Amino acid sequence: MAISKRFLTSLLFGTLAATPVWAADPIKIGVSQPLTGTVAASGNYVTNGARIAAAEINENGGLLGRQVELIIEDNKSNPREAVNAAEKLILSDKVPVIMGAWSSTYTLATMPKLEEYGVPMVVETSSSNKITKAGNPWIFRIAPTSAMEAQAFAKKLDSFDPPIKKVDFLSVNNDWGLGASQEFEKMFKERGIEIGRKETVAPSTVDLSAQLSALKDTGSDTLIMTSGVEQLTLGIRQAAEQQLPQRIVTTGGSFPEPLLESPGPKGYTSSHLLFFSPWTPESAVHPEIAGAFVDAWNEAGYSFPGLSEGFRGYDGIMTIAAAIEGAGSTESEAIRAALWNVQVQGVNGDISFFKDGPEGKESGQNEPNVYVVQLKDGEVSAQ
Amino acid sequence: MNWTFFGIFVTFLGIFPFVWPDPYILSVIGSAGIMIIAAISLNLLLGYTGQLSLGHAAFFGIGAYASALMSLGFDVDIGFGITWQVDPKPVWVAFATAIVVTGFFGWLVGKLAFKVRGAYFVVITISFAQVMRMISLNWTDLTEGPMGMISIPPFSLWIPGEGVVDLTSKAAIYWLVLAVGVLAYLLVAMLVNSRQGRAMIALRENETLATSVGIPVTYYLALAAVISAAIAGAAGGLYAHTVRIIDPDVFLFIYTVTMVIMVVAGGKGTLGGPVVGGLIFGLMPELLRGVVQPEVQWVIYGITMILILLFLPRGLVPAIYDFITWIRTPIAIPVRESRRALAAEAKS
Amino acid sequence: MNEILQHIVNAMVLGSTYALLGIGLTIIFGIMRVVNFAHGELYTLGAYVAYGMVALLKLDFFSSILFAALIGMLVGALIEYVFLRRKDLKNIDEVMLIMIGIMIVMQNLELMVWGGVAKIIPTPFSQDPISFGDVLISPTRLFVFSIAAILLFIFYLGIERTRFGLAMRATFQDQDAARIVGVNVKAIYTLTFALGSAMAAVAGALLAPVFVATPLMGDLASLKAFAIVILGGLGSLGGAAIGGFLLAFIEEFGASYISSAYRDAFGFLVIIIVMLFRPQGLFAAKERVG
Repeated sequence: MAISKRFLTSLLFGTLAATPVWAADPIKIGVSQPLTGTVAASGNYVTNGARIAAAEINENGGLLGRQVELIIEDNKSNPREAVNAAEKLILSDKVPVIMGAWSSTYTLATMPKLEEYGVPMVVETSSSNKITKAGNPWIFRIAPTSAMEAQAFAKKLDSFDPPIKKVDFLSVNNDWGLGASQEFEKMFKERGIEIGRKETVAPSTVDLSAQLSALKDTGSDTLIMTSGVEQLTLGIRQAAEQQLPQRIVTTGGSFPEPLLESPGPKGYTSSHLLFFSPWTPESAVHPEIAGAFVDAWNEAGYSFPGLSEGFRGYDGIMTIAAAIEGAGSTESEAIRAALWNVQVQGVNGDISFFKDGPEGKESGQNEPNVYVVQLKDGEVSAQ
Repeated sequence: MNWTFFGIFVTFLGIFPFVWPDPYILSVIGSAGIMIIAAISLNLLLGYTGQLSLGHAAFFGIGAYASALMSLGFDVDIGFGITWQVDPKPVWVAFATAIVVTGFFGWLVGKLAFKVRGAYFVVITISFAQVMRMISLNWTDLTEGPMGMISIPPFSLWIPGEGVVDLTSKAAIYWLVLAVGVLAYLLVAMLVNSRQGRAMIALRENETLATSVGIPVTYYLALAAVISAAIAGAAGGLYAHTVRIIDPDVFLFIYTVTMVIMVVAGGKGTLGGPVVGGLIFGLMPELLRGVVQPEVQWVIYGITMILILLFLPRGLVPAIYDFITWIRTPIAIPVRESRRALAAEAKS
Repeated sequence: MNEILQHIVNAMVLGSTYALLGIGLTIIFGIMRVVNFAHGELYTLGAYVAYGMVALLKLDFFSSILFAALIGMLVGALIEYVFLRRKDLKNIDEVMLIMIGIMIVMQNLELMVWGGVAKIIPTPFSQDPISFGDVLISPTRLFVFSIAAILLFIFYLGIERTRFGLAMRATFQDQDAARIVGVNVKAIYTLTFALGSAMAAVAGALLAPVFVATPLMGDLASLKAFAIVILGGLGSLGGAAIGGFLLAFIEEFGASYISSAYRDAFGFLVIIIVMLFRPQGLFAAKERVG
């Protein structure tokens, strides 16, 4: 047994020591995304967007004369795994900067590690307010907070006919879903819209019939749904099956892709809040960049509706790249300082960070754009 | 058990961080160590007492949540207008409480074992773990549900000259896990070599016979269950204060399966089995990382486990012992000679 | 009142597939005494076969279900032949652990082949629900119920009226006695495992279009199958069928009136309660359990 243990140790040592060192070693950027589990669809979209960004950077000569290499870790739609993934990236792969971790819950779990090891992270999707109010100076968020989303949606209220008078909520019961319903509720109340019933659902649930039948007779005209692609699809389908009278509006930027191929009943309409609408790229702030991204995505053969989230990965990596260029180095502290000064033209719009959070320990926050689209009989159009 | 070997091994492990201070390696071995402690506890129930409990992740999880909750403090409304409020306690107190609480649950499970056996017991233990998971997922007031409990305080130790130090460095965690692991190992070793231990083994071998010679089956089952659960709870508590974030997925069947693979492959019913199994299956993910995807790794573990069960059903450690014995056995006497010897004996 | 009717309808649909799942496990456990942890994986396999046939090979939905059954049967027979033949099945512990090993391998193979993202299976039925008064049922669910009910009936006929069925029932009651009267127990074992796995696969293929197919769906399915088997009594086929419906009813009404969040937990609570108070199940004749 002593032999097998020594053998194991030297095997470990050998494997690690044998890590090849390339002549001009690549710049490593860490990516923590849910590639398996309950929100795997979105995680894969974002990662694909990141890959396109990395490929584009490398085609144009790389960063600081070196190639960019994405080190991608699967956080398995789980906050504990998100912590593991971050530690692996930081301690084992020694990445100087990370993009992640998709869900607010996973990002919040990762944040203490960022502070412990001094590594900045660009948050590409998570929307909970807590993230930038926690006083963590290593966080830079390009995605909107739920509050921003609610305010942006307020501007689109007029596009709904009949107008919204009373709303119900169906949210996934984690930081994201609960935070979103809170912020939207606040916004609706400010405009005199009545709040009906609020239901929650666990992230892994596939049968929402209990929640939906509870929402059936509330008298509301609109149901706000916040969850990932899979659950939105199931929810909309089952709501249609139960003939729920409310019109459904989804938030959070996810699009129920499977409904394009297997649409709901004839004439059934749902609305979706997105941060990028690949069906109407002309409405983007920088149509050339959006168009180029859409082309690259299609060329890579990724699924079209995934663009509605894939752009986040793209914008995230581009932001990091700008910071590395600005810093002129791959040291975490330098990258962090440089992030404050980035001005990137991304697929969603212009990206730059303002200070958010407690004095002296602010995080960076961006102010993005919001689009609303309508899905009917498998076709998408602007609302 | 071989004390010299044990002593050398522990010393080696103890000085390892000085030889190789890479924090990542230490954290990998530390995590493997926590699973090994859980495997040691499972071995007591599965290997020595012969009770196939496949819900062991439940004890691990209860220990983790109990310790986390005690150290963070909580305030919940348990209906009828009653609130149960607990202030945050020092981590060592929380840890000790968690061990006791988990031991209690172990006693409950042990009691259940009196009523049902074999396959039925297995299914109950699995269900128990799943129910625990559902509760931790949905009683969000207490456990934060899928968001998990974050910012769990770490252990702290008073070190002469340094004052109170938070045990957050990878090396500190490594030594903490090593200390608890050695304690757990010694506890189990003492137990199985005692009267109580022999009674448990008798239970495993032939329960009816054991009862007939007067061994109180229920008492020993309960004892084994309590101690096994308590050690698993300790592992859970360690996990909570070193990883410092837990979520309902700690109750997942896959963690029980991992412990089972470690015990079965290493050798159930042997002291070294869970350690060997734990080191192999705890470190393999890191060795294979980057070489093959996690799914492929699990396929390998599954196949390894099946092969071991088919060809080396008692596990690796007994197989190695057998192998060593086989090497050392002198070459057998030819048959003719042995017959002559026997015949000569019979005559005399 | 209408609400209750709606719940009953939902429960019947779910219950019919649960019954298939549960009977499949009952015959495996009843005849071979194997605690089949891989049962849920056969369920998942059925779902993915259906997905593969329909979405990738563009086959029609109906034949994909047939395919699922066939492949389930093959895989089940294979598992029995390769892994369980050589093992003395009296060694419950080791057999159980082998089945766990198989479960791990199958689950991760599925993850490797199909990826972790949930798959939606397109069905030829329209999404417009059919209404009977105020009670709604989608065409897909109606179809699922019909097929499941037909299969259950066919199974019943097979068990009660054919020679094979007789041999299976004999082995179920007493292996050694069956062997004495000339039943080829080895063949029965293979057939049993194949049939049980086929039923699980069909249940998966039927339920998958109602929800989604994920590589991890087998975990829950396995445990619910156990709950059904325990509810109905490990020795009783009819009991397992009723158990399937019973579990569906408990889930449906429990989720709607007690707590929607704990829907999937009811199965486990049922197991624990039944084990505590009536361990032989609700329908079996008295059987030594402890």
